Amino acid sequence: MDIENIGFETINLGHGSGGELTRNLLDKIIFKTFSNPYLDQKHDGSIVKIEGEVAISTDSFVITPIFFKGGNIGELAVHGTVNDVAMCGAIPKYLSLAFIIEEGLKVSEFIEIVQSIKKAADESGVLIITGDTKVVERGKGDKIFINTTGFGQVHPKANISVHNIKEGDKIIVNGFIAQHGMAIMSEREGLEFESTIESDSTNLNFLVNDLLDVFGDKIKLFRDPTRGGIGTVLHEIANDINKGVFLKEAIIPLEKQVAAACEMLGLDPMYVANEGVFLVVVDPSVENEVLNVMRNHKKGKNAAIIGEITNEHPNKVVMESLIGGKRIVSPLVGEQLPRIC
Amino acid sequence: MIKSYKISFSGQVQGVGFRPYVYNLALKFNLKGTVSNNEDGVLIFTSGNPQNISAFYKKLTEFPPPISKIKTKSIIETENLIFEDFRIIPSTKNGQLNLPLTPDFAICKDCKNDIENPENRRYNYAFTTCVNCGPRWAITQTFPFERSNTSIDEFPMCAKCKKEYNSPINRRFHSQTNTCSTCGIQLKLINNLGETIKIEQSNLFKKIAALLSEGNIIGIKNTSGYLLCCNAENPKIVQKLRNKKHRPNKPFAVLYPSLKFLQKEVILNDKQLKSLASAERPINIVSLENYKGKLALQQVAPNLNQLGIMLPYTGILQLLANELNFPIVATSGNIHGSPIISTNGDALEKLQQVADYFLQHNLKIEHPQDDSVVKFSTKFQQKVLFRRSLGYAPNYLEASINSEEKILAMGAHLKSTIAFYPNSNLYISQYLGNLDNFDVYNRFTETTENFIQLFEQQPEIILVDKHPMYQSTQFGKELAKKTNSKLLEIQHHKAHFTAVLGEHNLFNEKVLGVIFDGTGFGDDENIWGGEFFSYQNNKIERIGQVENFDWLLGDKMSKEPRLSLLSLASEEMKSILEQKFTSNELKNYGYLKSQNKLKTSSVGRLFDAVASILNITDFNTYEGEAAILLENSISNYDLRTCKSYSQLTSLGFSAKEIIKNIYKDVENGTSREQIITNFLFSLATHILNFSKVKGFTKIALSGGVFQNTTLVDMLLELAPKEIKLYFHKDLSPNDENSSFGQLMYYLNINK
Ligand SMILES: [Fe+3]
Ligand SMILES: [Mg+2]
Ligand SMILES: [Zn+2]
Ligand SMILES: [Zn+2]
Repeated sequence: MDIENIGFETINLGHGSGGELTRNLLDKIIFKTFSNPYLDQKHDGSIVKIEGEVAISTDSFVITPIFFKGGNIGELAVHGTVNDVAMCGAIPKYLSLAFIIEEGLKVSEFIEIVQSIKKAADESGVLIITGDTKVVERGKGDKIFINTTGFGQVHPKANISVHNIKEGDKIIVNGFIAQHGMAIMSEREGLEFESTIESDSTNLNFLVNDLLDVFGDKIKLFRDPTRGGIGTVLHEIANDINKGVFLKEAIIPLEKQVAAACEMLGLDPMYVANEGVFLVVVDPSVENEVLNVMRNHKKGKNAAIIGEITNEHPNKVVMESLIGGKRIVSPLVGEQLPRIC
Repeated sequence: MIKSYKISFSGQVQGVGFRPYVYNLALKFNLKGTVSNNEDGVLIFTSGNPQNISAFYKKLTEFPPPISKIKTKSIIETENLIFEDFRIIPSTKNGQLNLPLTPDFAICKDCKNDIENPENRRYNYAFTTCVNCGPRWAITQTFPFERSNTSIDEFPMCAKCKKEYNSPINRRFHSQTNTCSTCGIQLKLINNLGETIKIEQSNLFKKIAALLSEGNIIGIKNTSGYLLCCNAENPKIVQKLRNKKHRPNKPFAVLYPSLKFLQKEVILNDKQLKSLASAERPINIVSLENYKGKLALQQVAPNLNQLGIMLPYTGILQLLANELNFPIVATSGNIHGSPIISTNGDALEKLQQVADYFLQHNLKIEHPQDDSVVKFSTKFQQKVLFRRSLGYAPNYLEASINSEEKILAMGAHLKSTIAFYPNSNLYISQYLGNLDNFDVYNRFTETTENFIQLFEQQPEIILVDKHPMYQSTQFGKELAKKTNSKLLEIQHHKAHFTAVLGEHNLFNEKVLGVIFDGTGFGDDENIWGGEFFSYQNNKIERIGQVENFDWLLGDKMSKEPRLSLLSLASEEMKSILEQKFTSNELKNYGYLKSQNKLKTSSVGRLFDAVASILNITDFNTYEGEAAILLENSISNYDLRTCKSYSQLTSLGFSAKEIIKNIYKDVENGTSREQIITNFLFSLATHILNFSKVKGFTKIALSGGVFQNTTLVDMLLELAPKEIKLYFHKDLSPNDENSSFGQLMYYLNINK
């Protein structure tokens, strides 16, 4: 898209007023990019068809910085919601899209974000069917906030619920943890590591769909461990079902550079945020088959069976550490306060 | 004229030979009556000549059995009672138990003689005990201390043992742990594949000594848990044990074959000699100044000029020692950070890769305990307990408590202990370890639940540290919910303070509390650790502190002394930092420091920074390493050459100023020893001057920093006459005292 044609370089308050300028912004950038039969009706909303049960999930994206290695806020806004819908055991179909823009955002940046959204939506197989754009005064936002709501069709074979989880069920992760959080941190704080760490932000819905196709109700739970990392999510699971989670540190996929970066900053990768990662809890009868399917999929090449559900230590996450011995992965209370004397 | 009296004793009076002692004494004084254990202690009814009874009572209270500790005593006249003789009658239990538990006692001289005497029927029998010695708490299942309530009950006494048990003139009269080789506990030597090594019992310890001398590592099941042993004069094998235990530098304790052997190699002072002969017989940390032996020191105690030494305190260790002509490493049987192992199965499973052989036995250990550790300061021989466990736990007889409530205190996190007040006695558990480790955590929760069961009392109030992420805090909160108890969070360093106040019963005084420590969650949500508190009229107030500096990078800061230096360094020290950090680290940490909000007053971190700037260490491989190395870098000090590195301010003092002035001295080429001495002098003078400025005459000191015995000596030397210093007495200055401190806080401080 050619910026000359848009006719302005930064977005200002007028673009959110609902008048001519707004029309201009929407027509020239948004409608042009996302054009589809639902959106093209230009109604106040869209009427869509979804068969069977519907999964709905919403999320707001307020990340700093808005551009980072391996992605930007736009694709994050798609992946985040698409993945949340997928974690419900559903096939994401439609997405709403709302922007809150702080005046002064460069049009070129906005266009880049919109194009990322388009690309991520196409790749995820979802259509943008309704949306909204507001502009706020300088200082009242942080460049751009995005809200997306996803609508998906629940997979006919899915029976996702923490309450289906039993002792002995296995916990599988699809790939390397802690990448996204460290990438964002390095970008935001200007931190430097031995090598660049890229966000792994990606859509997970096709892999989830494949797993449900093959294994149906043998899959007990999907969770994407975003904020708080896999440590926090595993705690939530343990507490929800009043059972324990037992992990093996040596098996948790963690890239060397990411591990080194965490080490440097004194962070535990168990609590660092992820975007392209999900955990799946499966019946032990299919653990190896699930692992195979995941490893043969490009979003799960580094999948690993990292642990299991146990009755041994209800509500506790315990990890066999690299040097032997077991350590308690305690729930995060606020920030990581020092405890060593 | 014949009169009758009821005499009662409470305190450490069961399992210590009290009843047989009373029996024999009563016969001497021509008295008739009965003696029994009850839920409060020992109960005597006696009839006889009042003068005799009075003399009997006097003797009993002035010269009680050697390992007993009488807490309360009473004698009252009763209606006339008629007895045919004097006898020990079975224990009665009427009410709720109200007894101290009995700690384990080191083997006594008489029993040592028995096992070394070929003529004696207990020659070579490793589990020889009597009323004066042997395991107690380690084998206790329930109350009162009777054979049937211990794991030794699995070994019914043979006819000969029974005869001793029933003979009033025998040292084993009513000795609950009485066994012999015929009826008793069996030793077995296996290799690490679990195969039994066939060997005659009479040659067993010779064989083990030979294996040790050949360079094997042996797991030895003592009566309180497994020890890992190897030849301490062989650097290769000690290093091998280090590698296998994942314990790169933390010093090992060394078991000497005999006092004679030990005294050939190190000089011991009176207090150390006494301690090494006591019934508690802890590990003593002694100076290696003028060391004359052949120990592989660099492997046993890397970079230290002190050493933890012990003498045999059980029959097993004594019999082994008798066959040794070299000292051996004797360290807790575990993988670094895990709790001490106490079952044969666990030992074989978890230490298979560590030990080549195991010496097992079939006595069940109910309460595994690490060895206790004590150090006496060089100049004033001030006792500093480093670890309170075997021989001390689980009693604390000194506290004066008067409360109807059942109180449970959960302690801290890294050096966890629990304290329980279920009746009119206070119990403080043995050191349990770092609660991040799941096995330690389990032992912690089991010990808590065991205490609750043992005393048949549910807690009504549970006390926890204010730190939200201590496992002890989280467990305490769960337990409070489960037992419907009240819950109170207590600030870490205030608990340190009340722990010393409690040990010296200072709650009616006006006292300055000086708490120098590693970390603790402060009331202002910063990390405290260099605090001045005032105590008066049941109130504690924070009246001073080390001026705040940045706490960086979570727990990593405690592991890397160079980060404390980074936090305290000024611009001029850039070139030093550049040697210690990569450019990426410097850039990142500089940024994080500029954004940082979490502040600290930790003196522990100040020690770290000093160790780093003096290039003593930048990375800790065990807790407190930097501070220990720092103390070990100096031998003697001379107060006349000392100067202070900072000024007392209205708040307290500034760690940054200290580092800045140390840097100047480093640049001037002042010796490392002089700098360290000056640094300790600065702390000592600040403490004393602060007290003077604020008008205190009593100073209570606690926190891990006061494990530094040089600082302790300096304080004692510098303190003017009118100032009284209070250090911990029977507890450690480190976080082991938290549980007791929490209890004292709850009972004495008005919120
Ligand atoms: Fe402390
Ligand atoms: Mg969400
Ligand atoms: Zn004895
Ligand atoms: Zn016998």
